[in-house]
Amino acid sequence: MPERRRDSLTGPPPPPNRGTVLRVALVLVIALAGARSSAGVLTLPVETRTLANGLRVLVHPDHSAPVVSSYVFFRVGSRNENVPRTGMAHLFEHMMFNGGKRFGPGVFDDMIEGSGGSTNGYTSRDLTAYVNNFPREALDTVLALEADRLGHLAITAQNLEQERGIVMEERRLRIDNDVGGTMFERLYLHAFERSPYRWNTVGFMADLALITLEDARRFFATYYAPNNAVVVLAGDVETADAFARVERAFGRLPRHEPPAPVSAEEPAQDGERRVIVRKRAELPALLVGWKAVRAVDPDRAPLDVLVKLMTGGESARLTRNLMRDHELVTTVGADLQWGIDPELFTLYAQARPGRHVDDIVARVDAALARYARETVTPAELDTARRQLRADFVKGLKTVSGKANQLGFFEVVFGDHRAMSGLLEQWDAVTADDVRRVAATYLRPAQRTLVVLDPQPAAPGATAPADPAGGR
Amino acid sequence: MTRARRGPRGGGTWLVAVLVAALLAPAAGTSRADDEVRLPPITRETLENGMRLVVAQTTELPLVEMTVMIGAGAAQDPPGQEGLAMLTAASLTRGAGDLDAEALAVAIESLGGAVAATAGTDATVASAEFLAEDFDRGLELLRLVLREPRFGKDEVRRVRDEQLAALVAALEDPAEIAEQCFAAFLYGAYPYGRPQEGRTASVERLGRRDVVRFWDTFYRPNNVILALVGNLAPADALAKLRAAFADWEPAAGAVPTRAGPPPPLSARRVLLVDKPDASQAQIRTGAIAMPRNAPDLLPAQVANTILGGGFTSRLIEELRVKRSLTYGASSGFAARLTGGDFRMATFSKSPTTVETLALLLATAEGFRSEPIDPRALAKSKAYLRGQFPLRVETPDALAARLAEIAFFGLPQDELETYRGRVAAVTPAEASRAAERWMAPPEQQAIVVVGPASELRGPLEARYGSVQVTTPEGCERLATPAAPGE
Repeated sequence: MPERRRDSLTGPPPPPNRGTVLRVALVLVIALAGARSSAGVLTLPVETRTLANGLRVLVHPDHSAPVVSSYVFFRVGSRNENVPRTGMAHLFEHMMFNGGKRFGPGVFDDMIEGSGGSTNGYTSRDLTAYVNNFPREALDTVLALEADRLGHLAITAQNLEQERGIVMEERRLRIDNDVGGTMFERLYLHAFERSPYRWNTVGFMADLALITLEDARRFFATYYAPNNAVVVLAGDVETADAFARVERAFGRLPRHEPPAPVSAEEPAQDGERRVIVRKRAELPALLVGWKAVRAVDPDRAPLDVLVKLMTGGESARLTRNLMRDHELVTTVGADLQWGIDPELFTLYAQARPGRHVDDIVARVDAALARYARETVTPAELDTARRQLRADFVKGLKTVSGKANQLGFFEVVFGDHRAMSGLLEQWDAVTADDVRRVAATYLRPAQRTLVVLDPQPAAPGATAPADPAGGR
Repeated sequence: MTRARRGPRGGGTWLVAVLVAALLAPAAGTSRADDEVRLPPITRETLENGMRLVVAQTTELPLVEMTVMIGAGAAQDPPGQEGLAMLTAASLTRGAGDLDAEALAVAIESLGGAVAATAGTDATVASAEFLAEDFDRGLELLRLVLREPRFGKDEVRRVRDEQLAALVAALEDPAEIAEQCFAAFLYGAYPYGRPQEGRTASVERLGRRDVVRFWDTFYRPNNVILALVGNLAPADALAKLRAAFADWEPAAGAVPTRAGPPPPLSARRVLLVDKPDASQAQIRTGAIAMPRNAPDLLPAQVANTILGGGFTSRLIEELRVKRSLTYGASSGFAARLTGGDFRMATFSKSPTTVETLALLLATAEGFRSEPIDPRALAKSKAYLRGQFPLRVETPDALAARLAEIAFFGLPQDELETYRGRVAAVTPAEASRAAERWMAPPEQQAIVVVGPASELRGPLEARYGSVQVTTPEGCERLATPAAPGE
């Protein structure tokens, strides 16, 4: 499947709490199977605190295994970039592993892995996250390493050049030499005109070449501040002790000027857009994006339900129609990313050999017209809700998953407690809501179609490179 | 998205060593009390019909997860019918008992549950997940899928067509092409050389009758292991599993006769798979190694973690950190029932492909031929031991591990003793395992997927004879009488 963005950044800021210690004890109670049974309830105790320097801290104790997951989220992603400096947030994420003041180059990974932990990071349009999963004994080591790089990253020419080359290989892997990755990059570029969601998080190849040491320094000074970060600890920790350790590690880092807000206001789309991608490939494919909503929009929940109604399983209507009834596609999947800014509702379908994209579009149009005209059945609605719940629980199976979700909601929804409201929002969606959002958002005038026109193999010939491949 | 990974930079090795030694010494020692892993009690039972059950209760999540291993996979595909195990597995969920395909999908999905099956090389794996409160209905659906699949003629035809389309679609993915071509090039006509999805020519000919025969032969309780982990009392779970499966009829020929070990390579072989449009080449190299139950596997994995596991591995250091030649590089042992292999994987832009390949091989050879540094070994062991709880953290992961232990005939306390066994590996054992099982460069199979017009000359200049094929051409490497036999 094509690339999927996961997470996101800068939403409404967390409740300010200058200086003093505020603790909010909260138990997220997640009713998985409706109200009828206690067996279907998942509880997620979370305590929060904001340090004097603005660092937000979330702690979820879970003693089922002697491991801890730490996530440090920064409210910066590719939405905070501009042309010609796209790719900055992600390139910077790479640079964050190459040493600070107390711990020099190469030490970060060595110490984490040497203490039995694993470490990684990811960047999305909305946020940057740094992940460590480790035995509980390593907690202080991990916090010291994280605080050192947040406060004192060594931004050197060597660090920048090393990661620039690596990120260019990453771009070749994920975008330039990946048919789905290319299609998704094209979709966002053409669907959005002004929103910084236009460009892929990995950035344009030409921009990656332009990033300077000064850009990196300015970026670090602007976004890598305690008051622009959220630390989440989940796993085998005691809450009070965990807060004390975080305070010790991060408490002395100074607050920075908050970054300027991002403006993502997008002009209204005045008609369908079609983009043809000509690339070496085996099968035609279609990727459609409709202008949709931001994560906190009340219409997000009915659109979530619509995703499942369309392609949530073999019994879902569009999947059944395209896969079984007409045998048009090898795969089909709808999706709605949850973003700080308005996102796209997407649909990807790959044609079977000998089938045509036009036929897929016609079937999709017919299905959407029906969703906009008629209400779905109560049974379909119930199945869609159960699938949303099941997916949600899958994200909470591990301590790492829980820490990731808590931070994601804190950053993208503005409050981790939004997690517990999710199931209620889905439960409240009516068949009429679904009909309304289908009619409102999934209209041809609001959509951009990316059509993959596969080019045949030409052995021995030097085929033209991907246009954005930037050689 | 962009799930980034990065690595550290070189320099400061001495400092690193001191810090690691100072801060992590306690974690890097030998066996400690916390070598015990907090696992729930595990109950095992073999039914009279031979079906093996493994049950454990976890209470964190309101779910029940089941992993079923049927002891027949792509290795049991009859000659000329490659892809049959996969077609059979995928057809299981297209109607069962009184439920046609659509009704079965509705029954599973309306519970928010999932039932899926796929064929591996040695076994077919079916998995099921349901809310604990829906367990009775979920188990009944799994029972139907395993014991009473309908295999409707038109449904099998549909699944076959989907499988054929997937074979075509896989040709778009350079990494997938590299994996398939590497398996075919390394194993040749040995069963592990075959793509599990089969090949176009073989799948086209498959039909309902073949599927029914495969199912009737191998899907028998005396060839099946079922592991259940979830929020359900073990006694209750076992009683329900017995009720569902005790009357399943065993068959004498259900357990397949397995092949002998795969033949090792005697000399280096190089395959270039032409992908004219690629701006980045995929690289795979490796050699025949050992099966899953080999005693050397653990010390070899401990050694391999230093070479190509994690973000501080030698391969990452040399290829990524020092030279920015790639975004990823790794090595590992693929260990299966009757054999396995050591393999390395990376990729680089076309102009630096041959340089990257040469450095990959040289780095591995340097590692293989020198004694392992005890400090590096201590770090590797700490990493494997520290990450272990995360490998059995979820009920589905634990169910899969428990089923595998039964399938591969490993000691029942494999999980409980894992961390202690890792801690006990000595530098000499790890060095010996690395030297023995990580083949020298002149005995490896090398596969490069990229533009032949750019890569053929430099590859031939360095390695001599290079076999060139197309992505589709890799199919032929695994047919009988191909090289490797």
